[in-house]
Amino acid sequence: MIQLHGVSKTVMSGASPLTILHAIDLDVPAGRFLAVTGPSGSGKSTLLGLIAGLDAPSAGRVVIDGTDITSLDEDRLARLRGQKIGFVFQFFHLVPSLTAFENVMVPMEIAGRPGAAARATALLSEVGLTGRGHHYPSQLSGGEQQRIAIARAFANEPLILLADEPTGNLDTANGRHVMELLREVNERRGTTLVLATHDASLAALAHERLALRDGQRELV
Amino acid sequence: MRFVLRMAVREIRASWRRLLLFFVCIAVGVGGIVLLRSIVQDVRLAIARDARSLSAADVTLSTNRSWDDQTREIIARRLAGVKVLARTEGIETSTMVRPADERRPVARMAEVRGVQPGFPLYGNVELQDGRSYSHALLAGHGALIRPELLVQLDSRVGDEILIGTGRFTVRGVLVSEPGRRVAGFSFGPRILVDAADLESTGLLGFGSRVSRDIQLKLPDREIEPTANQLRADLRTHFVNVRSVRGTEDHVGDDLSRAENYLSLVGLVIAILGGIGVSSVTRVFVQQKVRSIAVLKCLGATSWQVFGAYLVQAILLGAVGCLLGVALAAAGLASLPWWFSGQPGFATVPTDMTPSAVVQGVAIGLLVAVLFSAVPLLDVRRVKPSLLLRDAIRAGERDWVRWAAMAVLLAALVLIASWQAGSFRIGLAVSVGLAAVALILSLVGAGFVRAIRPLGASRSVALRHAVLRLSRPGNQTRAVLLAVGLGAFFIVGVRSLQANLLDQFSVTLDANAADMFLIDVQPGQAVGVERMLAERTGTPQPPAIPVLRARVTSVAGREVTLRTYEEVRRRGGLGREFTVTWRDHLQPNERVVEGRFWDRGRAETPEVSIEQGLRDRSRIHVGDTVQFDVLGRTISARVTSVREVDWRDARQGGFMFVFRPGPLDKVPATYVAPVRGPVDPAARARLQRDLVDRFPNVSVIDLREILQNVERVLAKVTLGVTVVGGLVLLVGGLILIGSVSMTRFQRIYEVAIFRTLGAGTRLLTVMTALEYGVLGLLSGAIGSVAAIALTYYVSRHVLDIRWSPYPMISLAGMAVTALVVCAVGLAASADILRRRPLGTLRSE
Repeated sequence: MIQLHGVSKTVMSGASPLTILHAIDLDVPAGRFLAVTGPSGSGKSTLLGLIAGLDAPSAGRVVIDGTDITSLDEDRLARLRGQKIGFVFQFFHLVPSLTAFENVMVPMEIAGRPGAAARATALLSEVGLTGRGHHYPSQLSGGEQQRIAIARAFANEPLILLADEPTGNLDTANGRHVMELLREVNERRGTTLVLATHDASLAALAHERLALRDGQRELV
Repeated sequence: MRFVLRMAVREIRASWRRLLLFFVCIAVGVGGIVLLRSIVQDVRLAIARDARSLSAADVTLSTNRSWDDQTREIIARRLAGVKVLARTEGIETSTMVRPADERRPVARMAEVRGVQPGFPLYGNVELQDGRSYSHALLAGHGALIRPELLVQLDSRVGDEILIGTGRFTVRGVLVSEPGRRVAGFSFGPRILVDAADLESTGLLGFGSRVSRDIQLKLPDREIEPTANQLRADLRTHFVNVRSVRGTEDHVGDDLSRAENYLSLVGLVIAILGGIGVSSVTRVFVQQKVRSIAVLKCLGATSWQVFGAYLVQAILLGAVGCLLGVALAAAGLASLPWWFSGQPGFATVPTDMTPSAVVQGVAIGLLVAVLFSAVPLLDVRRVKPSLLLRDAIRAGERDWVRWAAMAVLLAALVLIASWQAGSFRIGLAVSVGLAAVALILSLVGAGFVRAIRPLGASRSVALRHAVLRLSRPGNQTRAVLLAVGLGAFFIVGVRSLQANLLDQFSVTLDANAADMFLIDVQPGQAVGVERMLAERTGTPQPPAIPVLRARVTSVAGREVTLRTYEEVRRRGGLGREFTVTWRDHLQPNERVVEGRFWDRGRAETPEVSIEQGLRDRSRIHVGDTVQFDVLGRTISARVTSVREVDWRDARQGGFMFVFRPGPLDKVPATYVAPVRGPVDPAARARLQRDLVDRFPNVSVIDLREILQNVERVLAKVTLGVTVVGGLVLLVGGLILIGSVSMTRFQRIYEVAIFRTLGAGTRLLTVMTALEYGVLGLLSGAIGSVAAIALTYYVSRHVLDIRWSPYPMISLAGMAVTALVVCAVGLAASADILRRRPLGTLRSE
């Protein structure tokens, strides 16, 4: 489902180049749950961003569901994300001007999918927020916001769900709740899940682990 | 597409308050266009509807000589072959009118029109008490007079008044009458009497200023051919032939031009509003960067996001347009109140015309789309990766953006052309506006550079205020442009008004003539002079002989005009001139070319011309000009060119002055300049007594004219000031926009300053100084431009002496500085009050 061939990322830091991710190969088959671990700054977010096509690699190829996305332009990437990839961020990144309900609807509207409203209602009840659809993000707690973000990420039933430190900004109870939602998606629907975390207990839940340190694969 | 529309609507719901400025900017422009266009279109509609009653006839023949037998015969011969449905003749003259009751010491100049029973051929004479008009009201020395004259004469309906030696009874109050020009120069309020009665007043004799007309009602298809034939027949007889169509077209053309120019003023306001829209949109995009990245992460393409925000801009623009239309409606509704008491304006309808609304709204939407599209294109450059880490700013050239700007400019040229009704003017206006913008922004940059040394000032507040003006993302230039332009309008028109009033008031210093007696007959000159000397007790300047003459041909070095028809086609030269003769120069004259004659009489006629006339008609020393003076032909050689100081035209400024000799035999009338008493009662008494004794003599009171000029100028100034105020308002909006643009930066800055120990006072002073300096610069730019404008207009358009009015310029600068400072402080008030901790925590 996800294949990385010699993918690396180098950015310019001032005048000198800085490699934040060294060449890496990776193959995540469909339905698997991969945990990417490592301390902050180790390149976890960069790796997820490259898989989601949010960023272009400096070298190497990224293949998603048989499609080489490395050469796709910005708009094709957007469309691919809309259909196949869901993303959950550490800082939620809900659109502040939209209600919870609308935030969940947006990906379906972008994709032009019929029955968006009914499905958004269903998704809200799945994450346990039925009554809060008309609230704005600023009126919701962090845990609630992240559950909305998960419902949004899952709106178009993507093949792949990428979660970047989804519990990093939450307390333990809320973190557990969010984690349960993610595992449920992986187990019940067979969605390929890639989770970036520095929390070993969360990583232990995964089928596989990829440890990163200073942008390089660390042998475990 | 559904996504685009829905997002647009949701965004408006969430952020319309922040975008309030957006639609206010649009509303002001749209309101201006709709208002200005509606007014002119209303007038035009009224004229189209009432064209016949305005010109009162299908064909009008008029002359300021009497109808001699030959002319009458030509007209009769031509009309013999035409089916004349109706015909009536009229006589007009301006003269002094006074109450018959001698205890009322007033005499007023009025325009008396004598009509026959057939009048009016078209339209209605409207009377104040609602009675319908019939000629019977005039029969037997009856008169209908305008209300203002009735008040001036301290009389009532039923009272008797004296016109010349004739005694008339006021039978009614005249509101309007067909054939009266909508606007134009007049010697005074109107009186309507019977034509035969007017003949009996003794006013129509030799030398008086009388205009006679023949009005015809013809079958429709004969109007134009007959008018054209009569025009050809009477070419050499100084008869003016007007047809209803011609009048309509002429007035229509003038109004179209007025409409288009006024609309351009509206367009300029709309474009300035567009600048405001553009800066508001730029801030908006900056604030939305994260949301845009999220949408992209969720699968939205750049064009979908762009589309959503563009639709939002269109919707906001539409709301702005509605608001603008509402503003225009309010403005129109207030017009009657504005012009109440102004005769002539009362009857102008004040409806909003559909075409004006359509044009205003179309322009509003176009401006909203065009000016928001360019900054909105930045959404394409927002990368979703910024959600993971701060995006690295890409500095590459954005060709799409450049292309969009090119489209914007091209569209502006087209809109301006559309509004001006001509591509040439549209292009000229666009280029002109661009040039003004460029100059203002260069001057602005120069000023900002000039105050840069203040950045090293010892005062913390001043130092930071100056530095802020050149911080990244500053709106200094946009504000300078808009506010500077507003200040320019206002200061410019005020100084122009001052210059114009100055021009007139010079003639009113204590020892100068402030009254003119005209139409003094040769036999009366001595009597008038004696009476004046007795009554005023001061020596009076000698009476000046005057004649009315027309140029009938020119044989010159540069210009050859063989017939009067050719002269007439040269515009101004074809009019009737008042000429005089004398053997000396007046104190306000100077010979600039050739040589003025010595005392003594000439063998052959010689004439001296005025400098401006030489420049316009290109008649030079040595050329021969042929005149028709009361039917006599006189050929005179131009021997000198005079410069006349028109500000000091007490002795009269004459375009043509003849050498004494050839004209002595021609019977002239006299103009007597008078140093009248300053006391109004004494003035009125003197005028009354003069007219009692010399009923044909008319008095022109300069003091009164000056008051009228002041009143008219005040109205015009008010109008232009309102336009300037609108521009200034847009400037204020842009200013507010620029404050919100740098808002986040400012909030952060204020928090840091506070943490470092700065108090509210220091921060407020800093902000006040920043905007004060900005306002001062704007005011300076506007004032400098205004001085340039008044200089040009005074010297080259109005042909008057120019003097600077430093007080107006300084006041303009001070007021602009204060306004900008107040607006800036008000817009920053909440930032200045914020507590630092919350800010720093959320950053």
